[in-house]
Amino acid sequence: MPETFTFGDMLSARSVIGETLAAEGAKRDNLWVLTPDIGATLVEFRDTFPDRFIDVGLAEQACVGIAAGLAYDGNISVVSGMLPFLSMRALEQVRSDVCYPNLPVKIIGTHGGLVGNGGSTHYAVEDLSLMASLTNMTVTSIGDPVMVGEVLRQSMEMSGPIYIRLAVGKKDKVLYAPGEHDIRIGRGIVARDGSDVTLFTHGTTVAQALDAADELAKEGVSVRVVDMWTLKPIDAELVIRSASETDGRFVVLEDHLTYGGLATRISDVVTDNGVSLNSFERLGIPQVYAGFGDDEELRNKHGYGLVHTVDALRRAVQTQETS
Amino acid sequence: MTTAGIDPGEHHSVAELEDLAYELRRKLLELCGTYEGAVHIGGDMSVADILTALFHHGLRVDPDDISNPNRDRFLLSKGHAAVCMYIAMAIRGFFEYDDIVATYGQLDSAYGMHPCKVQLPGVEASTGSLGHGLPLAVGMALSARGRGEKHRVITLLGDGETGEGSVWEAVMAGRSNRLGNLVAIVDRNRQMMTSFAEERVMFEPYPDKWRAFGWNVVEIDGHDMSQLVSAIDDLPDADSDVPTVLICETVKGKGVDFMERNLAWHAGSLNPTDLERALTALDASRTKENA
Repeated sequence: MPETFTFGDMLSARSVIGETLAAEGAKRDNLWVLTPDIGATLVEFRDTFPDRFIDVGLAEQACVGIAAGLAYDGNISVVSGMLPFLSMRALEQVRSDVCYPNLPVKIIGTHGGLVGNGGSTHYAVEDLSLMASLTNMTVTSIGDPVMVGEVLRQSMEMSGPIYIRLAVGKKDKVLYAPGEHDIRIGRGIVARDGSDVTLFTHGTTVAQALDAADELAKEGVSVRVVDMWTLKPIDAELVIRSASETDGRFVVLEDHLTYGGLATRISDVVTDNGVSLNSFERLGIPQVYAGFGDDEELRNKHGYGLVHTVDALRRAVQTQETS
Repeated sequence: MTTAGIDPGEHHSVAELEDLAYELRRKLLELCGTYEGAVHIGGDMSVADILTALFHHGLRVDPDDISNPNRDRFLLSKGHAAVCMYIAMAIRGFFEYDDIVATYGQLDSAYGMHPCKVQLPGVEASTGSLGHGLPLAVGMALSARGRGEKHRVITLLGDGETGEGSVWEAVMAGRSNRLGNLVAIVDRNRQMMTSFAEERVMFEPYPDKWRAFGWNVVEIDGHDMSQLVSAIDDLPDADSDVPTVLICETVKGKGVDFMERNLAWHAGSLNPTDLERALTALDASRTKENA
């Protein structure tokens, strides 16, 4: 029997964005918030600073262009919306109007990855690849809702653009205790330390990675879970160190295409630095249009659910050493 | 009409502005005869009068104070007319014309086919890809409103460019946000790169499209300096609440008979013989109009 709910209720867990922006807006009279009709999370900012809130309606290209125009004139612009559209419909505006002049436009949104019943028009599965290819762009993907606020706050101090990817934001687990980790853009988080294999992940699959590490612990396997929430610039030092500290065994899990996202960025670090590994496996979305279902069903269907993650970690530690 | 502390600095008669537009066209042709690559000379010539009217009459800007917050902002949305803007700005005192001629298109030059704010301070925005200038202008106009500043934000678009959907997104945003400080100028030369506009894209009834979106529409001859000056002088106050579009009927390649309305002259280069022909044609055209 389904419960009755409204969109506002579904979105309520995203309130951290709205609260953070309202607080920052009070501190900075040059902070503007723009949205292409995805403003439900932004009511606090909208109601407190109506003159600095712009809802352009269904017009992603103009939304990003207007944000750039504001930023050219000394303002900080936050664009909030659904990432499949901001990352693709407005990609050229992001590239030429924001990244080329390196303007402080902060793009934050939801629907990164296979986030349920929307279907492939409404899943951003290429977005991290697209954004990471842009000069001057910082690219993040965040699973912990509290961290979203912290990163948004830090981004206000950056002179250039940033992309902040969320999944749905309605059922994210708080992963980290306050102050447990030093949150700094460009630094990965060792969410759980381990010595047999490193499982790199970001965003919504961090929780699943921690569950998989629990499973392996029962078998006596020590899994390091790295929340590599900044994909660009990548924390190369942590990648290189994890290779030597976890026996050269890597698994990368992400709610993104397996090529072009975090796995690709980690393999670039490995290759560029001559790191030798005993095993490397990518878990994520294959080159398919994913279909309908809930998040967990979709991950299981496409080979990167919890059971697949556990299996991949087992394979990783069983692989013979190559040297 | 001077407001907010910036004087236009120059007060020219229409005849003097016409002389400045002639100088701009002459310099454009000379660059086209110097630079070995293609110059977008057709679209440059069609906006030469508009840019002269702006940089020597309409825009409250100061070449010696390019960051003054009260300056009018000008964005060249049709970025491929960059050379015309560079030279118009050089004649106004922003840049050295000789630097443009000496370095245009070369490695490490600030002057390239499409303008870059980062490489060329004084330019207000990096443009080139079409359909980007008006959204940027809306953002700048909102910013001015937010700060209570009285300057205008003016952007020049090609008519072909207004085929881009992002233009109309911004047209709606400009109206919805009541930006009377926002001015779009359309260079209605009725040519795109490879075809005549109405043959491929039915823009007409063109002014009605802007009217239907709620803008204040002014239709003028974009080569008639007195009409340009009047249209600029008659712009609504910046604190009014309806944006204005000046639809300027123009001729691509204006001033050189063999370039006018000729699809071959969207862009090109002139050898010494053809440069002489072009300059002679420019003088003849000027004599005819003065007669």
